[in-house]
Amino acid sequence: MTRPSPKIGVYGFTGCAGDQLMILNCEDQLVDLFGATEIRSFVMAKSDNHEAELDVALVEGSISTEAQLKHLKDIRERSKVLIAIGTCACWGGPQAMKLGDGKFEERYKKVYGNAKITVSKAIEGQPLDAFVKVDMKIPGCPIDKQEFLKSVSKLVAGKHPYLLKSPVCLECKWKENKCLLLDGKFCAGPLTKGGCGAVCPSHNLPCVGCWGPTDDLNVSAEYDLLKEKGFVPEEIITKIRKFGGSGVMELVKNLEKKEAKK
Amino acid sequence: MTELNVHSLARVEGHGGITVTLDGKKVKSVTLDIHEGPRLIEQLVRGMKPEDDVNTVPRICAICTLSHKFAAIRGMEKALGITPPEKAHLTRELMMLGESIESNSLHTMLLALPDFLGYPSAVAMLNDYTDDVKRALRLKKFGNHIMETTSGRIVHGENPIIGGFGKYPGKKALEDIKAKSHEMIPDVKRVVELFAGIEMPKYAEVDKDKVFMSVDAPKKKYHMYGDRTLISNGKDFDVEDYKKYTNERVVAHSFAKRSLYNEKTFMVGANARMINMGKRLGGEAADLLKEHYDKAWLRNPLYNDLAQAIELVWAMESLPEACDRVMAMDDPPHEQPTRLTGSGTGAVEAPRGTLYHHYELKDGLVDVADIITPTAQNLDDIEIHLKLTAERMLAEGKGTDEVRLGLETVARAYDPCISCATHLVTLKRA
Repeated sequence: MTRPSPKIGVYGFTGCAGDQLMILNCEDQLVDLFGATEIRSFVMAKSDNHEAELDVALVEGSISTEAQLKHLKDIRERSKVLIAIGTCACWGGPQAMKLGDGKFEERYKKVYGNAKITVSKAIEGQPLDAFVKVDMKIPGCPIDKQEFLKSVSKLVAGKHPYLLKSPVCLECKWKENKCLLLDGKFCAGPLTKGGCGAVCPSHNLPCVGCWGPTDDLNVSAEYDLLKEKGFVPEEIITKIRKFGGSGVMELVKNLEKKEAKK
Repeated sequence: MTELNVHSLARVEGHGGITVTLDGKKVKSVTLDIHEGPRLIEQLVRGMKPEDDVNTVPRICAICTLSHKFAAIRGMEKALGITPPEKAHLTRELMMLGESIESNSLHTMLLALPDFLGYPSAVAMLNDYTDDVKRALRLKKFGNHIMETTSGRIVHGENPIIGGFGKYPGKKALEDIKAKSHEMIPDVKRVVELFAGIEMPKYAEVDKDKVFMSVDAPKKKYHMYGDRTLISNGKDFDVEDYKKYTNERVVAHSFAKRSLYNEKTFMVGANARMINMGKRLGGEAADLLKEHYDKAWLRNPLYNDLAQAIELVWAMESLPEACDRVMAMDDPPHEQPTRLTGSGTGAVEAPRGTLYHHYELKDGLVDVADIITPTAQNLDDIEIHLKLTAERMLAEGKGTDEVRLGLETVARAYDPCISCATHLVTLKRA
C-alpha cells in the first residue's frame, strides 16, 4: 500500500528568497522531491499554484507588511504543520537587527520620504512566531541543503525531523580549526546555531552569526570575553544583533541594563 | 472601469503582480505592483564597520548574492583606499563567471523557457524535454559549484572579503572546474539553440530603439564589473556619477523605487551588455552573437533571454583561462585600508543588470549607504512594454488568460529580482 503524497506549499515573505533558492539548488534531488510530494504551491518555481489544504507549509522570510500578515494567517489555517525556513522566518533576519528600538518609522521615512505607498502598509519586520504558531524552525542563512533534505525526507515518511542542537563551535572543533577567538578575532561561533559545517572559520574567517542564536546561548559570557579581548560594547552588540533578531533582543536588553548600572 | 490582474507573478524571485486598468476597451494604465515588504537595509547598516556591511548587504538577494558582495567590496575598497591584490581580483572574476552560469541557466531554462513552450513550470516539461531539464539542472549545479569553490558557500558565501579572500581556492578544485567546463560547452550551446529557435513574440516591441546601460568592463574586455557605465547612445559616465543617470522616485504601487534617464526609461541586463560590449566577445560566443543578433534586440526586451543564453557560452568559454590565471599565483596577504574616511561607488553587472553600491565612511564606520539595483532601474521600462503588450493583445481580441501569459512573459524576460528592487536607497542624508 502506498502512502498518499504529502501536500506541500512553499512560500516566501520578506527576505532574499535564498531558502526557496536552496530548495531549487537540490539539483540532484529536485525531480524526486517533486515526485514524492504534491507541491501545491511554490510561486517562485511554477505557475500552476493551488491554494488549498496542506500537510506541510514551508515558509521563508519575515513579516513586514499587513498584507503578508493576512497571507501568513491564511497559510497557518490550512496547514497541518508549519515550518519556518531560514533565519528571517525563524528570528526576523537582518531587517530585525534593531527590533524594538522604537525607531522603525524614522528609518522608513528616511528611505521612502513622505510619498504615499498604497500597495500595503509596512510594519517592522518580525519572525513568523511573533504572529502564528510555528511547529518547527529550520534556521540558516540560507538553510543547508542536507539539513533541509533530511528534514523533508523524515516528514514525507511520517517521522519527526531532528536538527543539530549545538553551536558552530562543535563542528569547528570536528574540523580541527584553530579557535579564532584565541587570535583576538570577533567570532560569533559560540552564540550561533550549528549546521553550516563551520564554513567561515574553515576559511580562516570568523563566524558572522547568520544562522541565528543557538539553543541555551550564553550571551553575557561571550560579551564579557569579547570585552576582555578589547572590543567596544557598541560593536559587540551590533554584531550579536545583526542576525539574532527576536532571539537575542531580550538578552541584549539585559546586557545594556547591566552596562548602564556600572 | 475594469481591471485585469496577475495577482502573483510566478517564476520570478520575490513578490510582484501586474494590474491592467481598462476604460471601456482602452488600456488606461498598466502597473507592475511590488508587494515585497520593505527591509530598510541601507538605514540599518549605518554605523557599522565596513566588514559588517559587506556580510549584511548580500542578504538583500540570494540569486545575486555575489554581485552584491562584489559591488559592496568594490565600493568599500575605493572608500578605504585599497587596491586589491591581483590574485583577489582574478578570483573575483572567476566567482562572477560562476554566478552568471548559475543565474542565467536558472532563468533561461527553468523559469523563462516554460513560457515559450507552453508549460506551467520546468518540472512539467520533464516528460517532453527530459534531457533539456536535466541539462539545465546540471548547468545550474556547476555554476553553484564555482560559487561555492570561490565564495565558500552556494548562497551567501563569506569568503570574499575587503582586501582579498579568507582562503583562495586550491589547485585541484580549479583543475576540476577547468576540466568540467570543456565538457559542458555542448550544454550551453544547446541553450542558445533552444532560444534561437523560438520565434519571439512581437507584441512588446517598440518602434524606436531603446536605451541600454551596462558597465564598461576594463581593458576592453567583456566582463561583469567596471568603473564606467556605457549608454547605448554612445555616451558613457564615471560610476561615481551614478545618481545623475539613475534618478529615483517613489510610486504608490511599489516598495521599490523607479529610475529614468533623461526622463526616459532604459533597460539593463544581458541584452544591454551584449549591445554595449558584444563586440568584445571572442570564441564561439562571438560567432553565436553574430549569427543571432538582430536589430529587433534594440526594440524588443524578450531578446534578453537569448542574450543570457549567449552569455552562458561566454562564461563557460572563459573558465579555463580564468582558472589558469588564479592557479598561477601565490596567495597574497590581505590589503589593509590606507584611510578610514572616504567615499566610493562599486559597480557590478548582476546577471539581471547593473548594480551600484555607494558608501560614505566616517572614521571607519558607514555614514551613508546607497544601493541601486538592476530591477529598480528596469521597473519603469517593464511597465512601458507591459502597456504595449496589453493594448495590442486586447486589440487583437485575445482572451484574458492569453493576455495574462503575454504580460507575465514580458515581465519575466527582464529576469526581475524583486527582493533586490525593494531594498532601496536613502534619498537624503540624515
